[in-house]
Amino acid sequence: MRIAKYAVLLLALCCAVPSFAQVPFERLKNSDKEPQNWLTYGGNYGSQRFSGLKEITPKNVASLRVAWAYQLRGGGIMESSPIIVDGILYVTEPPSNVTAIDARTGKPLWHYVPQVPRDFVPVGLFPTNRGVAVLDDKVYLATIDDHLIALDAKSGVVRWNSLIADRMEGYAITQAPLAINGKIVVGVGGGEAGAHGFLSCFDAKDGKLLWKTYTVPLKDSDPGADTWANGSWSNGGGTTWNTGSYDPELNLIYWGTGNPAPDWNGEGRMGDNLFTCSLIALDADTGKMKWYFQFSPHETHDWDSSEPPILFDATVGGKPRKLVALANRNAFYYVLDRATGEFLTGVPFAKQTWAKGLDAKGRPIKEDAAKIEPSVEGTRVYPSLTGAINWTSPCYSPLTGLFYVNAREGYADYIKGEPKMAPGNSVGIVGGGGGGGRMSAGDDTTTNIRALEATTGKLKWEHKMVGDSWTGTLVTAGGLVFSADAAGNFFALNADTGESLWHLLLGSSVRSNPVSYAVDGKQYVVDSAGNTLFVFSLP
Amino acid sequence: MKATKYILCGLAVLALVLGARITSLAQNVTYDDILHSPSHPENWLTYGGNYASQRFSGLTQINKQNVNSLKLKWVYQLRRTGVFESSPIVVDGLMYVTEPPTTVTALDVRTGRPVWRWTADLPRNLLTIGLFPTNRGVAILGDTVYVATIDAHLVALDAKTGVVRWNVEVGDNKKAVAITQAPLAINGKIVVGMGGGEGGLRGYIDCYDAKDGKRLWRLYTIPTTGEPGVETWEGDSYKYGGATTWNTGAYDPELNTLYWGTGNPAPDWNGDARKGDNLYSCSLLAIDADTGKMKWYFQFTPHETHDWDASEPPILFDATINGKKRKIVAQADRNAFYYVLDRATGEFITGQAYAHQTWAKGLDAKGRPIELPNIDPSTQGTLIYPSITGTVNWTSSSYSPLTGLFYVNTREQGAYYYKGHEKMDPYNPNDIGGGGGQKLVNGDAAYTAVRALEATTGNRKWEFKMVGDSWTGTLVTAGGLVFCADSQGNFFALDADNGKPLWNIQLGNALRANPITYAVDGKQYVVGEAGTSVSVFGLP
Amino acid sequence: MKVIRPWYAAALILALGVLGLASPAAAQLTQAAPPPHAAHPRATPESIAAGKALFEGTCANCHGIDGSGANGPNIRSAAVNLGPEGLYARIRGGAIGSGMPAFTALEDAQVWVIVDYVGSLGHEGAVLATGDAQKGKEIYDANGCAKCHAIAGQGGNLGPELSKIGVLRGTVKLQAILADPGANLPLDTSLQERAAYPAYLVYRVTTKDGKAIEGMRVNEDSFTMQLRDANGRLHSVQKFEVQKIEPLPGKTFMPSYKGKLSDKQIDDLVAYLSGLGGAQ
Repeated sequence: MRIAKYAVLLLALCCAVPSFAQVPFERLKNSDKEPQNWLTYGGNYGSQRFSGLKEITPKNVASLRVAWAYQLRGGGIMESSPIIVDGILYVTEPPSNVTAIDARTGKPLWHYVPQVPRDFVPVGLFPTNRGVAVLDDKVYLATIDDHLIALDAKSGVVRWNSLIADRMEGYAITQAPLAINGKIVVGVGGGEAGAHGFLSCFDAKDGKLLWKTYTVPLKDSDPGADTWANGSWSNGGGTTWNTGSYDPELNLIYWGTGNPAPDWNGEGRMGDNLFTCSLIALDADTGKMKWYFQFSPHETHDWDSSEPPILFDATVGGKPRKLVALANRNAFYYVLDRATGEFLTGVPFAKQTWAKGLDAKGRPIKEDAAKIEPSVEGTRVYPSLTGAINWTSPCYSPLTGLFYVNAREGYADYIKGEPKMAPGNSVGIVGGGGGGGRMSAGDDTTTNIRALEATTGKLKWEHKMVGDSWTGTLVTAGGLVFSADAAGNFFALNADTGESLWHLLLGSSVRSNPVSYAVDGKQYVVDSAGNTLFVFSLP
Repeated sequence: MKATKYILCGLAVLALVLGARITSLAQNVTYDDILHSPSHPENWLTYGGNYASQRFSGLTQINKQNVNSLKLKWVYQLRRTGVFESSPIVVDGLMYVTEPPTTVTALDVRTGRPVWRWTADLPRNLLTIGLFPTNRGVAILGDTVYVATIDAHLVALDAKTGVVRWNVEVGDNKKAVAITQAPLAINGKIVVGMGGGEGGLRGYIDCYDAKDGKRLWRLYTIPTTGEPGVETWEGDSYKYGGATTWNTGAYDPELNTLYWGTGNPAPDWNGDARKGDNLYSCSLLAIDADTGKMKWYFQFTPHETHDWDASEPPILFDATINGKKRKIVAQADRNAFYYVLDRATGEFITGQAYAHQTWAKGLDAKGRPIELPNIDPSTQGTLIYPSITGTVNWTSSSYSPLTGLFYVNTREQGAYYYKGHEKMDPYNPNDIGGGGGQKLVNGDAAYTAVRALEATTGNRKWEFKMVGDSWTGTLVTAGGLVFCADSQGNFFALDADNGKPLWNIQLGNALRANPITYAVDGKQYVVGEAGTSVSVFGLP
Repeated sequence: MKVIRPWYAAALILALGVLGLASPAAAQLTQAAPPPHAAHPRATPESIAAGKALFEGTCANCHGIDGSGANGPNIRSAAVNLGPEGLYARIRGGAIGSGMPAFTALEDAQVWVIVDYVGSLGHEGAVLATGDAQKGKEIYDANGCAKCHAIAGQGGNLGPELSKIGVLRGTVKLQAILADPGANLPLDTSLQERAAYPAYLVYRVTTKDGKAIEGMRVNEDSFTMQLRDANGRLHSVQKFEVQKIEPLPGKTFMPSYKGKLSDKQIDDLVAYLSGLGGAQ
């Protein structure tokens, strides 16, 4: 008996030796055909975070167990969403390290640790990293100090290293790059330091810059400059700090942009402040803006629109449409036509007190300024600074037609800052001379997994949690939604009903997006809690 | 067999409680409870699992047949990084675990959720000479939890809330005294040793009144002028001679005797200025628990020059040897020898090497090593087995009364020893142990192995080899399992009879602690600590 | 006096390496101590104001504009818990394993004014106690406060420890608590991850067989809750295994002393409590 078992094990060993396969663009484009892998940050180019795997189901999920764990070698906040290619898992560790792991056993294969200046304190964000991109034989990493680095996928050897931006100007990067056909697209963070947002595209071969598109005007003649009173575009903002999506057919890149600067005082920057708090659609070859949609014109509450846009096709009003949906930090859920940017529908998905609703074009009908604008004594508005959702990813299942979002219910007393920026000042001028808010906390902030009908935003079910969860969602063809609460309970819900089916306490908060993969035909689910990456499977 | 009976009645009681669905947790541990801890294997009441430090659990639910289906039940992650070496105490549904450098956290074992946490205020100029700022566990007695801090205080905390009841200084941290060990609670008393022997001090062991922290006695481990044994130190070298008491000892309630190991003499790697046996360094001390008087001592390594502390937890058991019933204390020493002594008298019964060693021809009839020539550290380096870290270090061995085996995680590694200074520069963090030290013989030739020794003879019954330098103690259960872990993050179970691996899981970081087991609501759990987390396993 | 310096930490690691004690984990000592720095100048209204400005720019993004926490923890008691030197070290050295970076680019003087400002949090509008502290102690003893509260190790464990209460709460707050404890629950300080939650909030849990337990919430997540009842016993609750869990806002195990003690007696009691922990 036992000998037979060992023999089987041996065989399995022989077959399962990590192979470091090539990942051409074609594979990325058709990633839904290989659900055993997780090839891009969002699981596919549509950022759906939908896994086609169905070994784990509502029936058997209760017997899920930890197969292996990997612990970070340093400290810091782990927010990485792993990439899995043919049995190899690539995960990033704070601030900007990459580790390749045998996805079957959890044993590390290589580490890459870039030299990051030790005295660099990014403004307004944690020094962490949310993941890598893969293309052909390379792994691409954007570092906290604004380098784009191509690593050999087999060994972690540096193939090239290009500068994306200058950290002295306030730029810092935590996002995973996006690999498309021969190109690597990457955005920047640092809006609280007065960084000027842009999206850039590099040649995957050699790291040459192919194009760079600013999201905020650089001169008075630039488009949108007339939406910034008195040349206030010079304060910057509109950063591109979270990973976007791609439609290969339309050859369009979809990317969210962050808040205008300074954050909590709009007096010195009257106007809509284009193209901040928007979704922008760029031509992947040229970087030219095809269309934009601004969610929060003249934004003063730090409600970046950096949430991952999810692409899907559906019939709306009897007409098949190519859609992009985004659950915004401002508490509204939006559905747009992704070919044209046309607004189709939008409804709140969490409590909000700042808008009466959206008009026919999707522009918010704001409440009176006195009720919502930050003030010296504090103005209470829902949602809070961190928003109804922040950087964590929602997901979409083509099987249920539902959009699953971890929604935060909470308020902040918004406090006005100085209307001045000191660009590049890494000490003392977060968001422009201070300002900010007293956030609701404790029992006054809850998070909830909500299933929305993707085409309408109608609430189908919700799962309430205690505390302020910062975990994304994953939905599988097996009919499960995975996420976690603030205490570190990783759980599975029935994707149709929201019924809680299984949970396990991982001992520290889960601040990342779960993913799923399979090796040797066995399905695994991955998420990190605290400093540990946990991998689950059936017995 | 007896153990099986005990656990059955324990489980019956617990099953009743489970029916209520909301479960009350009580925290009150009497001395009597600790005395009879073998009959309540659902709790883990002392550092060593019982007063005999056997790290044997009577629980049988997890056994050879089902261990393969063990699964992770919950995880608690430390709130900060550091070296995590704590052995938890589990009492009636609460687990007390210590986080580095000195934090006590109480966890609800049913859910893994923290209930309270207490962190010591530490001086900013903390001295930890030759040791990591960590903590290996608490003691519990009555409704109070006792923790020794890295800056050498003994603190009594309310077991329910963590409120400080009293706080006394065991030693002056400015003079290098630091504590990482779990205290030992006996009848109304808390016994605690100290560390810092590489800092140039004179070792001692203390006993405090559990009620109010009054010191009841102190026993110095090095005699002073006028006391017998001082002649084993040249000149005034006894003043800085070390012989600290940095690991938790054992207790025999019938003999009312404490058994505590002592550390190396200082300076560590140069014995020139401290010629003589250097009593009572590298010894096992038998101490009257009421008075602190030494009843007997047994020195494993006289005039030691390789940092082979004798601080390994001594294990007490009774056995028949040569037809005679004996009360025994056994110790697998850092110097590579396994010793069996009569714990009433200190008489040497038997001893033999349990790992490769190149420093002694063997032991004489009294257990004194017959040293080989040219083994001292030198300026050019002297190759000796074992290394400075020794064949075993602070991690605990275990003993099963069911198999009669002694389970020790053994290190097989040599080192080149380099000579340090003749004199200590006390309390100087840049002069650890008087300088000198080792260059390890690394690579595949060095390894660790779980070895099962016949407890009465030290004869090896089996071994399980591991890759790398494991720093995990062993746990043995009445279910016939030995739990241990390797340095690569694999936590595993072996068949206690033959060492066959039955289960393992990759936890992602090395385990540097002693595993324990407990039961709650009728279910048995095993605890492993990897990296900076506590992982609790149970059957599905 | 010996000061632990980063190079010393490095030397220690090296030395431990020589001893064969070092491991990968050993390279992460808990916190790097700061380099030598200027001593803490006396806090002044000006230094607190300067610290407030710096705090709002540098720290408020994570700790909230009044230190009550946002992305980072509530730090309104940090100056009490860590002491000024400890707080200085935390700002300079960061907290490894959390998101708190090491603010190495700040100047000494800038760090100290931030320390001053954080030290001032929670004491805005402080009013000096006017009562007789000695009499207050007698009132404390006579009314059995020690049954539930501990001071310097002596006393019960049901209510909050009061050893440092004079530093943690102003007189106005103490008056309010004595009058209406249920409306003035303190934030939890026993677990830093609970710092945003009120401690001592009473819940009633009803089991499926109709049995009810009332207890103060000790911890809670989406699936479980830990309660401490009036007898100090802990209860571990699996939320999905009980019938009902309801908070009882306003209810506490501490009685109101409004009407039970005269205004003068309350003043005296507040004077006594205000003096606790003040020595540091």
